[in-house]
Amino acid sequence: MAKKTYDLLFKLLLIGDSGVGKTCVLFRFSDDAFNTTFISTIGIDFKIKTVELQGKKIKLQIWDTAGQERFHTITTSYYRGAMGIMLVYDITNGKSFENISKWLRNIDEHANEDVERMLLGNKCDMEDKRVVLKTKGEQIAREHGIRFFETSAKANINIEKAFLTLAEDILRKTPVKEPNSENVDISSGGGVTGWKNKCC
Amino acid sequence: MQGHQHQEEGEVKEEPSPESAFEKSPFQLTAEDVYDISYLVGREILKISSEPQGEVPTRVAQLQFKIVRILEMLEALVNESNLTVEELKMERDNLRKEVEGLRKEGPPGNAEQLSLGPDKMIIDLTDPNRPRFTLQELRDVLQERNQLKAQLLITQEELQCYKSGIISQREDQAGPMEKESTVCSPSGSSKSNEEKTIIKRLFSFKYGKRI
Repeated sequence: MAKKTYDLLFKLLLIGDSGVGKTCVLFRFSDDAFNTTFISTIGIDFKIKTVELQGKKIKLQIWDTAGQERFHTITTSYYRGAMGIMLVYDITNGKSFENISKWLRNIDEHANEDVERMLLGNKCDMEDKRVVLKTKGEQIAREHGIRFFETSAKANINIEKAFLTLAEDILRKTPVKEPNSENVDISSGGGVTGWKNKCC
Repeated sequence: MQGHQHQEEGEVKEEPSPESAFEKSPFQLTAEDVYDISYLVGREILKISSEPQGEVPTRVAQLQFKIVRILEMLEALVNESNLTVEELKMERDNLRKEVEGLRKEGPPGNAEQLSLGPDKMIIDLTDPNRPRFTLQELRDVLQERNQLKAQLLITQEELQCYKSGIISQREDQAGPMEKESTVCSPSGSSKSNEEKTIIKRLFSFKYGKRI
């Protein structure tokens, strides 16, 4: 029997205003690095990272969206397949916080109903420029019944924790399968746990 | 003066009397009214010279009254006319400024652009960085990029497997591996169903509904 490189594939999505640091958050998680130069994401990109949770190898395919309005129609077409969505705002940018409700509406409109959501207040290393109080973030997260972390891609604060927590929450909802069974496509549209590499 | 007298004879029974011209508002006067006034004044003067001396003071007083009325009318008309001229001058200056502004804003011949709505964009065809591609084209390019990226990742992973010796020579030649080797094959000449499946599975995110 061939060995598998992973047991499950989770598809995650990063959304939020332009410039809040979605790409940096992802880059910190996938490559454990940080780049200060700001390059706007064009449309949509992704990175892959395999993690191990509860003895299971979980491949995370993390889609990074452009926050700019002009890519809206392209990015929203990627919501549907996401099992977890991270909504990122910038604690030094009040507008990005105000827009959370807009992004949550986008999720309601375009994503699967059972998608796992999480709110991230990024750039928490920049305390002197903070305009959004942590309690504000906690409050809005509580109102919508979603998890919340303040993160810093630059200072590497809570990044891994956020991704692992989101993956755990999805794993908790994923039905346990027999060791020999093929991956079950829970929703044909989402392609939930496909792409099992039988190599090795 | 003779003419007026003839006229008087002919017009006596017609229309309102020439005197009514004095009662009119100056702003409603017509050229005809002015002729009537002229006739009445002429008649008064004629009477002064033709009638007995004793009548002169009365006639002069009557004429004086008419002349004062005429001057009042003239005054009202002059004032009104001056006001109108001022207003028109201001309007002319405003329009002149407006035309100059519009001329400065855009080169001649783009009257069409000026009529564009608020949601329209003007593209400068000489700008090398002007938008040229449609959203659909961008969507397709991004999709292809991400597909190739996914393929590369799969290939890299598989290469790692070979390098670390996890895949034995025997297994490599065996059936199960054929599936994967198609993905790795650089020729990529034959897109087997299996290859499509693997890529598409990764991209079911995007293609989900179509598969």
